[in-house]
Amino acid sequence: MTTYELNRCVYDFMRAGELGTGEVAPFEAARYDLTDVERRAFEEPDIAALYRMGLHPVLLNGFCRAVGYTRDGYRKLLEPLADAGTGKAPWRH
Amino acid sequence: MAQIVLAYCASHAPMMAAARDSAPEDQRDRFFGALDRIRQEARERGVQACVVLSNEHFTNFFLENFPQICIGLGERNWGPTEPWLEIAKAWIPGHPALGEHITRRTIAAGFDPAFSHLLELDHGVMTVYHELDPSMLLPMVPIVQNCAVAPLMPVRRWYAFGKALGEAVRSFPEPLRVAVVGAGGLSHHVGTPTVGDIDEEFDRWFLDRLEQGRIEELLDLTDAEIELAGNGAHEIRSWLTVAGAAAPGTARTLAYEPVYPWITGMAVSRFVTAGVS
Repeated sequence: MTTYELNRCVYDFMRAGELGTGEVAPFEAARYDLTDVERRAFEEPDIAALYRMGLHPVLLNGFCRAVGYTRDGYRKLLEPLADAGTGKAPWRH
Repeated sequence: MAQIVLAYCASHAPMMAAARDSAPEDQRDRFFGALDRIRQEARERGVQACVVLSNEHFTNFFLENFPQICIGLGERNWGPTEPWLEIAKAWIPGHPALGEHITRRTIAAGFDPAFSHLLELDHGVMTVYHELDPSMLLPMVPIVQNCAVAPLMPVRRWYAFGKALGEAVRSFPEPLRVAVVGAGGLSHHVGTPTVGDIDEEFDRWFLDRLEQGRIEELLDLTDAEIELAGNGAHEIRSWLTVAGAAAPGTARTLAYEPVYPWITGMAVSRFVTAGVS
């Protein structure tokens, strides 16, 4: 329902994996106020959709690692969404 | 009074610890060779404590409350957070007196740092700290910086904070020999369609300006410009903070390697510090 809720859901999911030891309870996305589209994107997972919805890139990177995507793998999924950085940079001649 | 006897910066790609051998051997040798040299210099200069600045990667803070600066005052901090980082988990000794002094002095200088008595230290701090002291016994004041979640503190203000940090360390009323360390950058892209790209032109341009003392050109960089070198390039804030702490000392690049398997422009630079070259 909000970008915050989506980010919070992914963050909590990742932290549960990082901090959990022994038996870890199944993660319940239903606890978060997500739309059906957001929940589906999280559960499938649909990496490109999560990117489009505004998941923070640092979280998206960690989430991809947590669910088994390589960097090359998720790059291929995101490449169609690339926004060419065409601004003038002082170091580009 | 305390002295800054060593000031340097190094990139902190997690793969330097988690997948060290994935980098080409020659690049690996040059990058870690520079860090070996730093470690040796730290021994020779009798470093007794360090201040390590690095980006916050959603390790201690989330969107409910996201400080631009957070200084670690604890007697100890814990790390690394990441279970897959090939560094043993440990309690890292802090230096509460130095941390509190830095906090008080930077507040007096016009900054508003948050503080924490218990920080989790992720790859951002731990990779570089572990190279400095593999025993992980060197007391550390960690300073967590927001280099990732907009709106960000401008780079010029980070440089000013660095100056206040340098003055704070040098006014600490104990004969402590301190290393000030920036961990992060240079160009890299994380969680975007361009993940894996490295902007070698940016990295060399940035390092050249640090070496030439052309700091003003770096302090005028906007966030939109920095973003062109990758969202991870905002971590040059750590470097510019150390540049401020070491001012007017210029930097010398000890290593620069665009390590594609680590998706990062990996550099090590040491600053000239007063009385110690």
